[in-house]
Amino acid sequence: MTQVLERTAAPLPRLLAAEVRWVFRRPRTLITLGLFALIPVLIAIGVVVADRGGNGLIGAVAGNGLVLPIAALTVALALLLPLAIAMAAADAIAGEAAHGTLRGLLLAPVSRLRLVGVKAFGVLVVAVAAVTVIAVVGVLAGMVVVGSADGQMVTLSGTTLGLGAGLARVALVAVWVVGQLVAVGAVALAVSSLTEHPLVVLASVLGGLITFGVLGAIPALDWLQPWLLTSGWTAAADALRDPVTLDALGSSTLRALCYAAIGVGVTVWRMQRRDA
Amino acid sequence: MTVSRTASGVALDVREAAPVTAAPAARARGLRKVYGRTVAVGGIDLEVPTGAVLGMLGPNGSGKTTLIRMLLGLTRPTAGEAELLGHPVPEAVAHALPHVGALVEGPGFHPFLSGRENLRRLAAAEPLLESAAIPGAVDAALERVALGHAADRRFRGYSLGMKQRLGLAGALLVPRRLVVLDEPTNGLDPAGTRDVRTIIGELHAAGSTVIVSSHLLAEVEATCTHVAVLQSGSLLAAGELAGLLDSGTGGLVVSTPDVQLALSTLESVDAVATAAEPGVVVTGGPEAPEIVALLVRAGVAVHEVHRRRPRLEELFAQLTEGGA
Repeated sequence: MTQVLERTAAPLPRLLAAEVRWVFRRPRTLITLGLFALIPVLIAIGVVVADRGGNGLIGAVAGNGLVLPIAALTVALALLLPLAIAMAAADAIAGEAAHGTLRGLLLAPVSRLRLVGVKAFGVLVVAVAAVTVIAVVGVLAGMVVVGSADGQMVTLSGTTLGLGAGLARVALVAVWVVGQLVAVGAVALAVSSLTEHPLVVLASVLGGLITFGVLGAIPALDWLQPWLLTSGWTAAADALRDPVTLDALGSSTLRALCYAAIGVGVTVWRMQRRDA
Repeated sequence: MTVSRTASGVALDVREAAPVTAAPAARARGLRKVYGRTVAVGGIDLEVPTGAVLGMLGPNGSGKTTLIRMLLGLTRPTAGEAELLGHPVPEAVAHALPHVGALVEGPGFHPFLSGRENLRRLAAAEPLLESAAIPGAVDAALERVALGHAADRRFRGYSLGMKQRLGLAGALLVPRRLVVLDEPTNGLDPAGTRDVRTIIGELHAAGSTVIVSSHLLAEVEATCTHVAVLQSGSLLAAGELAGLLDSGTGGLVVSTPDVQLALSTLESVDAVATAAEPGVVVTGGPEAPEIVALLVRAGVAVHEVHRRRPRLEELFAQLTEGGA
C-alpha cells in the first residue's frame, strides 16, 4: 500500500494502452488504414481488367491470387507505408509538442526515457496495423477477385504451394515489411524529437526516400547500395521463389535494424535534453 | 504545526516531518536561463514556503513562465539550482511531480478527443491514481471546474474559457501538495475568474501550496499570501503580501470637509499633514487615537479615518518604474 502511495511512475501497461487508444482515436490513423485496404483491391481490379500477363510481381498476380498481398505490400512499401509511419511518428512527439500535450505527459510525470518507449510502441502498432490490413485484405481480394486454382500459390520458380505454405510466405513478407518500417519509424521519431513541426518529419522522410532512390539509381554510386535502406525493398519477390532465398531479406532486415538503432539512439539522446 | 506523516513517512526525507516552515515547497537558487543572447531569467533566488499562495507578478516577457518551467524541470537552467518539494530538479523531479499539479503556458489537449477523453489520457499517466480510480477522478475534476455539462464534447469546439477550465481540471486530478497555475484566468469571464479564486482558496485551505502567475494585479491581491514581482528576468521584490504593502507609504487618511481647520490643528502638535482628497493625510506625529481626539475636540467634522495601505497596483508601479 505504501509503495502505491509513493509511486513515481504510472504502470507501463496502462501507459501503452492509453497510447494505443490515442493512436486509434486519431481520425487520420483510421482514414489511412482505410486507404491501405483499398490498395490490394485496386491492384486486383487492375489485374483482372488488364488480363494480360505483365512482368514482375504484378504480372505474377494474374490468376495467382495469393501473390496479390505480397505485390500490394511491395507497392505500398515504396512510398505509402513509409509516409504513413512518418505521419504516426510526427504526431507522436512533434505533434504532441505542438499541441502542448507533451508537457502534460512530462509533468505527470512520465520519465523521458519511458516516453520514448511508449511513443516507439505507438508507432510500431501503426506499422503492424497498416501491414496487417494490406496483407489480410490482399489475401481476401486475391482469393475473391483474382482467384487461384484450389487456393494454391504458383511460385516464381514455377512450383506450386498449398494454401498453408502460401499464407506462410505472405506472413514472412509481412513481418519483413514491418521490420523495414521499424527502421523508417525510428528515424522519423528521431526527426520528430528534434522539431515542433510535424510537417518537418513528413518532409524529411519523403526527401530521404527520394534521395535514396536517386542515389541508388546512379551506377557510379554502386558502392553506396549496401548503406541505403531502400536498396533492399524489392526483396519481397524472393519469398515467392521455391525454395525461399533469404539472402536479400536477411541483409535488408539487418540494415533496417541498424537504422532503427541509430534512430532510437538519437531520439533518446534528444528527448533527455528537449524543452517541453 | 507539523505536516501529517504519510503512511510511508519513514521513507521520506527528514524535513517532511519537520515544521512546515522548514521545507519550502519550491526553491530557486541563482536560477538563470539564457536563450542565445536573451536573458530570460537572470539569477533568481526565491523560496516558496509550504502552504503559501504565491502570486508571481510581472509584465509579459518578465520571465514568469520560464522560471516556472525551470522549477518544474521542463527547461534546463543555464545556471543555478531548483528544488521542488525538497527534491533537486531535474535529477529527482520524478519524486516531486506526482504531488504537483500544473497548468503551464495554456491548456494543451488534443482537439479530436472530448474533454473527458483528454483528461483520461492524462490521468493514465498519473502515478498516484489507481487504474480503477481514474474515471471517478476525471469526473470529480470536471465537476470541480464546472465543465461536467461539456465533458463529452470535442475539445476542438471548446471556448477559450472552457479550454482553460479543462487545463485547470488536469492540474487537479489528484490531491496535490503543490499546484502551479500559469496565467489561470486567461480567457475566463468574470464568473470563471471568481471560480479560479474559489479553487485557489480551497487549495489553500486544504494546506496545498499554490504558485499562481498573473499580470492581473487585483486577482493576485485577492488570493495571495505572498508575492514575487519580476521584471526583465530579475526579482524586484518577494515576500508576504501584507508586509510588502505595509512597507510602502503608510499614514492616516482623514476624510473631512474642514481641511484648513484640520491642518492648522495638526500643525499645533507638530504632526506632518498635507491636504489630499478626501481631506488630509497624516504621515507623522502623535498616534492615531490622539490625532482623532484632537481633531474632534477642535470641531473638525471627521467622516472617516483609515490607515493608508497602498494597493498592490501602486506598489507594483513603484517597483517596476523604479527598476526600469
